Amino acid sequence: MSFGSVLRRGVLAGVCAGLSSALVTWVAVEPVIRQALDIEAARTEVIHGGGQSLPLRLPAHGGGEEPLVSRAVQVVGGAMTSVLVGVAVGVIFAIVYARVRERLSGRGDLVGSLTLAAVGFGGVSLLPALVVPANPPAVGDPTTVGHRTMLYAVTLLLGVAVPIVVVAVDRRLSMSSMSTTTRLALDVVVAAVLLVGLVVLLPGSPDVVPDDVPADLLWDFRVASLAQLAAMWLTLGLVFGVLMERAATGDRTLAPVAA
Amino acid sequence: MTSAASASAVSPSVRMSVRASAVSVPVWAWALLAVAVFTLYVLAQENGAVLSAPAAELLHELTHDARHALGVPCH
Repeated sequence: MSFGSVLRRGVLAGVCAGLSSALVTWVAVEPVIRQALDIEAARTEVIHGGGQSLPLRLPAHGGGEEPLVSRAVQVVGGAMTSVLVGVAVGVIFAIVYARVRERLSGRGDLVGSLTLAAVGFGGVSLLPALVVPANPPAVGDPTTVGHRTMLYAVTLLLGVAVPIVVVAVDRRLSMSSMSTTTRLALDVVVAAVLLVGLVVLLPGSPDVVPDDVPADLLWDFRVASLAQLAAMWLTLGLVFGVLMERAATGDRTLAPVAA
Repeated sequence: MTSAASASAVSPSVRMSVRASAVSVPVWAWALLAVAVFTLYVLAQENGAVLSAPAAELLHELTHDARHALGVPCH
């Protein structure tokens, strides 16, 4: 199978992943963002003496001046961003999968693709979400955004490093006379210790959630954010896996000619 | 003549079945990977490090909801 055909499947799966993440954002995340923007708007109103009515087009950052982009455009822009993110992730996914396919596709491309998607979700989505949880508008403190961004980026890189370390350990162990079961059990232990260690040792967000943001709203937003990320990775793994399986079946039908 | 024809008919399929698990990744693919990572950076994080301030602000507003949803730290 040529690299180009793997890459094309990655792009197609990425478009599907982006569309499914945009759909989940629209259904689950946007309603919570709307509630959060209402809180921001209420704050602005208090600052301005409470006399004026709510602006019809809410600025995303609670400023009193005319917004640069309307809410409607922001919702559409957000959906388009989700699709573009899906395509970029799909391209990276296809390149990485092509590189590790030999070791990952022992039980077929669908299982291999879903495995890589699960690793991707765990490393660059779930781990950062546990260390620096997603926040709706009205929560983040502008003065700590640099600090939180650094923490987020470091966590993301460590999330990429964990599976690489586990694979390296697995290779080392496979050189010894250890049984496969013991080796896999040790791999799981190493992965668990690394992940739990990172979550415990990495400092959390320094922000204090403002009093006017209900805990329910924060929880709903974080669950919706994870749901959206999970939808993206699941769709990517499924679509890419199925496309690769179909291509591989095409390859296999030619094999009996050789036999 | 016949054997040569059958050999050439067989060899491509043999190659295919052998190559089914391995995909050789060309060097340009790693440049493409870098471009994809940079695209993710622009979509998720760019706030003026690469673009001019007004352009970055417009980009921030357009990508605002997706950035929040993806869990990127924000204001």
